[in-house]
Amino acid sequence: MELLYRRSLGPVVGAFLTGLRDQHVLASRTGAGRVICPPLEYDPESGDAVSDLVEVASSGAVTGWTWVSEPLRKHPFDHPFAWVLVQLDGADTSMLHALDASDMAAVSTGMRVQIRWAEERTGHITDIACFEPEALA
Amino acid sequence: MAERCAIVGIGQTHHRKVRDDVSLAGLLREAGQRALDDAEMTWRDIDAVVIGTAPDSFEGVMMPELYLADALGCAGKPIMRVHTAGSVGGSTAIVAAHLVQSGVRKRVLTIAFEKQSEGDTTWGLSGGRSGGVGAGGYFAPHIRAYISRSGAPEYVGWMVAVKDRLNALKNPYAHLKVPDITLEMVRDSPMVWEPVRRLESCPASDGACAMVLTDEAGGDRSPHKPAWIHGTAIRSELGQFPGRDPVNPKGGQDCAADVFKQAGITDPRREVDVIEMYVPFSWYEPMWLENLGFAEQGGGWKLTEDGVTEIGGDLPVNCSGGVLSSNPIGASGMLRFAEAAMQVRGQAGEHQVDGARTALGHAYGGASQFFAMWIVRDTKP
Repeated sequence: MELLYRRSLGPVVGAFLTGLRDQHVLASRTGAGRVICPPLEYDPESGDAVSDLVEVASSGAVTGWTWVSEPLRKHPFDHPFAWVLVQLDGADTSMLHALDASDMAAVSTGMRVQIRWAEERTGHITDIACFEPEALA
Repeated sequence: MAERCAIVGIGQTHHRKVRDDVSLAGLLREAGQRALDDAEMTWRDIDAVVIGTAPDSFEGVMMPELYLADALGCAGKPIMRVHTAGSVGGSTAIVAAHLVQSGVRKRVLTIAFEKQSEGDTTWGLSGGRSGGVGAGGYFAPHIRAYISRSGAPEYVGWMVAVKDRLNALKNPYAHLKVPDITLEMVRDSPMVWEPVRRLESCPASDGACAMVLTDEAGGDRSPHKPAWIHGTAIRSELGQFPGRDPVNPKGGQDCAADVFKQAGITDPRREVDVIEMYVPFSWYEPMWLENLGFAEQGGGWKLTEDGVTEIGGDLPVNCSGGVLSSNPIGASGMLRFAEAAMQVRGQAGEHQVDGARTALGHAYGGASQFFAMWIVRDTKP
């Protein structure tokens, strides 16, 4: 099987992925002031183009989660982990990602988490390796 | 009768080999915004959106209508996607027109698109296998059969290529431009699929086309002169069956007869002022002229040879440069429909045909098995 597809991402998603390479998380701010992260090129409510990009934090709060006790081959970890919805500080929406947590008891809605960056970053969504519990200051 | 339908806004992208400056959604938005600007409307003024594109395997975006709904301002509104292979741009416009003519919607935005640079069309056509013959390889035997039957001289194909490439120089949106094009250049270009030479073939393009269609009241309020739809027809047939003539398909003949009847046209050669037809390989100009009833069997090539189909001729064909000059496949049919409407609106700029009042838009697709056509005029039906 061959895969011959390529993607041009445009000014919004392209900027978001380029930002990840430099450990910056960009979001799009709609005309109504809603901050969408990951950013959308067009406001899903009004249909207007969204060109205002703002940086949000690389840490935030878990808004929902589910525990995976038996990971499958294509999962990001070979040990138990959680799928989480994370609302980064400064954003009004959540993104879905994997949380590397020690066990289910360590995961809760509202818990603080932060991005674990990939060591080699290429401007790809996988530059976010996963989320991890926020380090204590 | 059904509600009258007006074309009050038309927009297209600058078609290019690669439009990597925009996302897929951005490509549609560019055409859509131009159509809305022409209509002096916003995305909020639209009641429904009808989009069309070629097989998902071309770009590898499965069901793009799902991803595009937000980008096209469709939150809380209907969006639907049409697919009829290469004719899809035409049939998409017709579905949009029917939403208005049925009285169901008042203002419909229709967009057709293709971003060929994101995939490999030949690979997509052959179901994900390399080594497919591609569209040119499929149509070449039909072209050879036409030449054999009609006795047309070889240079007629070159003439179509030169004409359409010269026309493209007058179209700011056209993709392929060959300013110094000559018959000799076409003749000497590499044979790609015998008898089709490289300069007789369409390019692979990224591009989109959009139109705003309204009911009669919308047409009456239109800030710029509208085009009015006088007939729409779609026909389909199997790609292969015993007795089928793929050189002159029955589906195309019937579709043309139907659309002319709706428009009250009894002598298309005399009554149609300008044609935009789907000619991805040069020989399809004479072939479709015969198929649609503009020439007798075996006589289509004489119209080309006599210069009748040039912009200055009395039946100009593909004044925009046609598919030979821009081929964002899913959009190519809608570009034909839109360019036909631009002509009767007097909006075609340098490639405008003086006094064009009745125009035919034509598209075909699949194994010459899907046909879509409309007749537009500058007056109400």
